[in-house]
Amino acid sequence: MSSFMQHLPILLIATPILMAAVTVMLRPRPQLQKVLNIAVTFALVILSVLLLLQVWNEGIQVYEVGEWGKYGIILVADLLSAGMVVLTASISFLSLVYSLDYIEKRSLSSSYFPLFNLLLAGLNGSFLTGDIFNLFVFFELLLLSSCGLVIANEHGGITKSSDKMEATFKYLVLNMLGSIVMLIAVSSLYATTGTLNMADISVKLSAMSAAGTMPWHVFAIALMFIVVFGNKAAIFPLHYWLPDVHPTAPSPISAMLSGVLIKIGVYGMLRVFFLIFRDTLYIFQPVIIYLALATIIVGAISAVAQTDVKRLLAYSSVSQIGYVFLGIGLGGIYAITASLVFLVNHAIAKSMLFLSSGGIIHHAGTRDMRKMGGMVDSSPLLALMFLVGAMSIAGLPPMGGFIAKFVLFDAGIIGKYYFEIGIALVFAVFTLFYMFRAWLLMFWGEKRDVDKYGEYSSRKASPLVMIPIIVLATAILVFGLYAEPLISLATATAGQILDPQPYIDAVLTRVVR
Amino acid sequence: MNNTLLSLTIAILFGIGTFMILRRDIVKMIIGLGILSHAVNLLIVSTGVFAGTKVPIIIDDGGHGATEVTGTIFNDVLSENILAPVIAAGNSVHYVDPLVQALVLTAIVISLATTAFILILAYRIYEEYGTTDISELRRLWG
Repeated sequence: MSSFMQHLPILLIATPILMAAVTVMLRPRPQLQKVLNIAVTFALVILSVLLLLQVWNEGIQVYEVGEWGKYGIILVADLLSAGMVVLTASISFLSLVYSLDYIEKRSLSSSYFPLFNLLLAGLNGSFLTGDIFNLFVFFELLLLSSCGLVIANEHGGITKSSDKMEATFKYLVLNMLGSIVMLIAVSSLYATTGTLNMADISVKLSAMSAAGTMPWHVFAIALMFIVVFGNKAAIFPLHYWLPDVHPTAPSPISAMLSGVLIKIGVYGMLRVFFLIFRDTLYIFQPVIIYLALATIIVGAISAVAQTDVKRLLAYSSVSQIGYVFLGIGLGGIYAITASLVFLVNHAIAKSMLFLSSGGIIHHAGTRDMRKMGGMVDSSPLLALMFLVGAMSIAGLPPMGGFIAKFVLFDAGIIGKYYFEIGIALVFAVFTLFYMFRAWLLMFWGEKRDVDKYGEYSSRKASPLVMIPIIVLATAILVFGLYAEPLISLATATAGQILDPQPYIDAVLTRVVR
Repeated sequence: MNNTLLSLTIAILFGIGTFMILRRDIVKMIIGLGILSHAVNLLIVSTGVFAGTKVPIIIDDGGHGATEVTGTIFNDVLSENILAPVIAAGNSVHYVDPLVQALVLTAIVISLATTAFILILAYRIYEEYGTTDISELRRLWG
């Protein structure tokens, strides 16, 4: 058993890659493909929880792929990585259960499962790797597989395939440019320090910084990493691809994109800036704060004017990711904790909202909220679930979102960032406004334009669609009412992020040579 | 001299690539992305090219002619400004950094895959929209 536990990090990456191959071969037998994939994805959830427990009990886990020491690729699981892997595994399991009924049969059995597995491998890999070039490789893996998934068809053909092509083209071109920038940054870093291992780079850069010989281009490299991760996370000047891509994707994939994929940027920022570029942070923290504030403002103002439900949720994601970056920019253990709590709560609430918006647009046959109304009569459960999610995003008390916003604003006030927190508070009120405007438009009142558009379709959300939504809604309530474990986990994680010495020691001292 | 030429080549390639991705035609954009990725590949290779003789990965034992290869790899001595895999000048061994070439191979393969995908996507867009003009792709509001 213990030898099995040693191999957890590589299992979390290798199993989905293996499953991608197996599901391609199982295409003639769709039923077996479904059952096997669900079982394996559930096993991944269990493995990820085991990994988190192992990290919590025994400290940072380092896995040397091929035993090349610190010069080969290593996988490192600290609390941040393991926590993100648990989040990824659980949200992707629920999305997969949801998509069994939601995605069109032909699309589902041909390419959906292999691509979904590759996406999962890319996500787990980029969270677990300790090698900066390997991070780039996993970024490309998840970029290509998510492009394939955005194109997948849902039942009913509510989104035109030309829209999907256009959105995917935008997404792919921007992210290819992002990966080119990342390659430039990585190779410059390699030319400066002669290593790709993140802990090793960190040691060498801080030695240079202590000797006062830090070359000026390290600041330029750090700026390039802001561009790369900002592009992934859709922060202000690079946010405009997100409101096109997330709504056109089928709903379970929107949930994955908004719930987990944009968090990759946050993870990268935390990992790279607090481990490698610690000595440049004094310049970049104000930059991150003001980019975050701009993101909050742009996202919230754009979301107010939307009539398309998924587009509104996408703009809301832009706005909420700004709050996460605000916490990172404020710095300090309490603000990072707040940012992590916010990240988890937003991931759960937003993926839940995207999943329920899938149920809503199937029932209504359109994504335009102006053509909906009075849906509380025909699908009361969906109305309740959407209300739970909306309350969490808006930050109302019994939900997880309240705790997240409260901790974040508290951290800002303790740090005396009154102006920044003031702006964030004003736009939190905007959040309240647009989420409840959406809920009222869709569920309250009477069905509008019955003469023109007819009654709602009889197609109701099936149990397979409702169960993931209910599970996520329960998680929102639990994190709102009993937030203590999440906050203590986030505090421990923030402690590890701000003091990377244990990470560096774990990576470098076990080298045999 | 060689390094100057290499830097100049990389710079010109970046310039051409940036110009091409600002064109309105989708296919020209994709060609621009290809040129940019080749420029990056050259940049990566150039990080493994050093003036002088200081780029080994295996240090043969002090260079006294024997075949006795100790196999010691990568000695970082921070106080003497030696960062693996670059060893200090004066050690007269002639190897090229192999890691850079592994990196560039990976980058080439990845850019092959993405370019193939984006070309297929461009063809599908041409089928749907009947044009390859990027300014005609305005069905989304964004």
